[in-house]
Amino acid sequence: MELQKNLQRIILAELLVPLTLFIFGAYHGVLQVMYQSGVIRATSVAGIDYYQGLTAHGVINALVLTTFFAVALGYAVVSQELKSHVSIAGATLSLALMLLGAVMAAVMIFLGKASVLYTFYPPLMAHPLFYAGLVLFIVGSWVPMFTWIPVYLRWRKEHRGQKTPLGVVGIFATFIVWQMATLPVAFEVLVQLLPWSLGWTTGVNVMLSRTLFWFFGHPLVYFWLLPTYVLYYTMLPKLAGGKLFSDFAGRFTFMSLILLSCPLGLHHQFADPGISTTSKGIQGVLTMLVVIPSLLTAFTLAASLELAARQRGGKGLFGWWKKLPYFNPENWLFPYLFCGLVIFLFGGITGIVNASYSMNNVVHNTAWVPAHFHLTVGGPVFLGILGGSLFLITGLLKKPVVSGTMALIVPYMWTVGTFVFSSGFFLGGLRGEPRRTNLGLTYMNPASPSYRPDWWMATHMGLVGGCIMGLAVLLYFIVLIRSLTAAPDAARAQVPFLLPMSEPYHDEDIFAVRNFTPWVVAAVLLCVAAYYAPFRNIVKNGITTAPGFRPDSPAPIDTVHRKA
Amino acid sequence: MAINVLEKRAMLGAVAFVAVSLALIAYATWGLGINVPTCIPLGSKPYDQASVLKHEGKNYEVHYITRMWAFEPSVLRVPTGSTLDLYAVTKDVTHGFEITGTNVNLMVVPGAIANSRIHFAKPGIYTIVCHEFCGKNHQNMNSRIEVSDAFADYSVEGLPASPGMKLLDAKGCLACHTVDGSASVGPTFKGAWGTTLQLEDGSIRTLDSALFLQKVHDPTAFVVKGYPPVMPVIQLTDDETEQIEAYLEGLRQ
Repeated sequence: MELQKNLQRIILAELLVPLTLFIFGAYHGVLQVMYQSGVIRATSVAGIDYYQGLTAHGVINALVLTTFFAVALGYAVVSQELKSHVSIAGATLSLALMLLGAVMAAVMIFLGKASVLYTFYPPLMAHPLFYAGLVLFIVGSWVPMFTWIPVYLRWRKEHRGQKTPLGVVGIFATFIVWQMATLPVAFEVLVQLLPWSLGWTTGVNVMLSRTLFWFFGHPLVYFWLLPTYVLYYTMLPKLAGGKLFSDFAGRFTFMSLILLSCPLGLHHQFADPGISTTSKGIQGVLTMLVVIPSLLTAFTLAASLELAARQRGGKGLFGWWKKLPYFNPENWLFPYLFCGLVIFLFGGITGIVNASYSMNNVVHNTAWVPAHFHLTVGGPVFLGILGGSLFLITGLLKKPVVSGTMALIVPYMWTVGTFVFSSGFFLGGLRGEPRRTNLGLTYMNPASPSYRPDWWMATHMGLVGGCIMGLAVLLYFIVLIRSLTAAPDAARAQVPFLLPMSEPYHDEDIFAVRNFTPWVVAAVLLCVAAYYAPFRNIVKNGITTAPGFRPDSPAPIDTVHRKA
Repeated sequence: MAINVLEKRAMLGAVAFVAVSLALIAYATWGLGINVPTCIPLGSKPYDQASVLKHEGKNYEVHYITRMWAFEPSVLRVPTGSTLDLYAVTKDVTHGFEITGTNVNLMVVPGAIANSRIHFAKPGIYTIVCHEFCGKNHQNMNSRIEVSDAFADYSVEGLPASPGMKLLDAKGCLACHTVDGSASVGPTFKGAWGTTLQLEDGSIRTLDSALFLQKVHDPTAFVVKGYPPVMPVIQLTDDETEQIEAYLEGLRQ
């Protein structure tokens, strides 16, 4: 069954609009490594301030691009796998709210009214329209799941006893995590920041807002990752020419991420005052538990690839690795997913370092952190989004990919680039180089008393890696634009577009992963247990509230006279 | 139906990995004593003056102020082998407090006091870097701690005098009274405000605004027990009195 025509258009908009914004996100990524290594020694380039561009880089790449892709993929998978029509009104409303919100936030950033970075920590204060834009964007992203629920319930009624398709389980897991994660940040923005930026309140409890933010901020990374997990569990084995080793592993992974995504945000606040070491320790342990579904995923995907390689004639304990379709232009999507998986191996290991409680003292807020997350959100997630978007866009428009060879070079270039970039940033982080700082003006400036020659190697590896990453993105856009402008492929037009879905090799039916409800209930209880004490302490003790500050002045904003 | 046996082994392997990791973290925390920053109750009143307190031996308590875009003090010199109890508060936005190359790594959040301890076994120059975005000059915000065998005691630079402090200096008060707790001709101002004083005539009074003004206007009215009656009359306007009182209040513990 083909997707509804209107839904196809909505999905195309959800993919193409953020990709267009991403051109700036990528451009400023390259500029950042130039600023940081001292190639650029300035506060701004072409009218865009370093921290303003950095805000755009974070908001566009980590929020707008990722969320739109999750929604677009969600619609494609749910509609295809449940063989059902979905509400076009709901999809249109969601798209409209998300677009309006993203444009509002983007305009405020480009006007220089919201240079507060994508974590928007108060008491730095942005323009109210920036906060309002974020709220609209988030609310827009809530709509789809609620329109899928009745479709899914109807499907269950008509298919009693059947397992929910694995892709649909993954998409629901994605949006259940998103729903749980975004409630606290919506509270932070609506109750704390928006009234405060409008001058209705004189101050915010900063510890409360930080804790609400990180309640959202860590599940956010699983929200980034889950759509890519959907691609890995459903599409990768088939693209490799085989089957998914275990259907249960996929279901278990999705369910356990529902359970474990939220009650561990405090590991971003190990260095914060005002939170007890007990609360930090409990959430540190919970963070470690995520290793279990992650390693199970690594095992299952490796086993699936091995199965496929052996079917292709691969032999020996390790020799089968040679038989995978690494460089087949017809199968250009495989390396996007495969390279992402390789990068993620290192992203996962370095994530364990960050989460290891007192080890965080060494790397907290240093360049180590962006080094790590460019191997997660910047690795598997980003390559999944690039590959998935190109696949969906050309598939829905019935266009050929011009050319498959160029398309498959992108993920390899990106992998080389991120490895060089992140190796440099890891090195810098271990030597104390701060993250998101315009280093070229001081620390990487031989004329400054703050000059740190011991950060030279780190920032220059970042420079080289970042430029390779930029070239990979450039190549991707050449392929995308050439494909978009090519004449439709007559052969493709004959058959309905479908996402490739793998068959399971092991298909055990394990009762514990058949139902969402117990996992969601357990997740909510775990959140309450993990967050009750820190929130209680902060609300009870954090009477002091902070007035707002603009990034360009140490004088507090006068909330009373500001409007005059 | 049962879970595939290879998969079971993979899961057991993952569980074992987690167990070993947690055991190592527990060892680092309790065995080696490397912990994350503790919680100082948010309700406790943050200080608003940077200062250094000398304790016994080479132990110091350093109260840092962070603000856009500087640390106070901007330079701290201590002898090799010193142990520093570090505190940091912010006067404006959230700042970072990272001594590069060490385990000191703190967030300085409005309304709360950040705290860590460091022992300087080796001489050298250590940089404190603000690693949290705090506005347009964030990249300029750093401070240094110099550790050397050549220093007999601590010294600081970059403690901007408050109006109250400047007045104490201008009126000559600092000739006989210290603000860091050390002994001098008269009692120290450090931590004195709001405390009860035992007087030479045997009475007990609380150091508040009334007692302070009485002493300033008529130094012979009473004398704190154990100190000589040598204080002259000090002329203060109402504004000056207010500024000095605010400063003295900030010196209380």
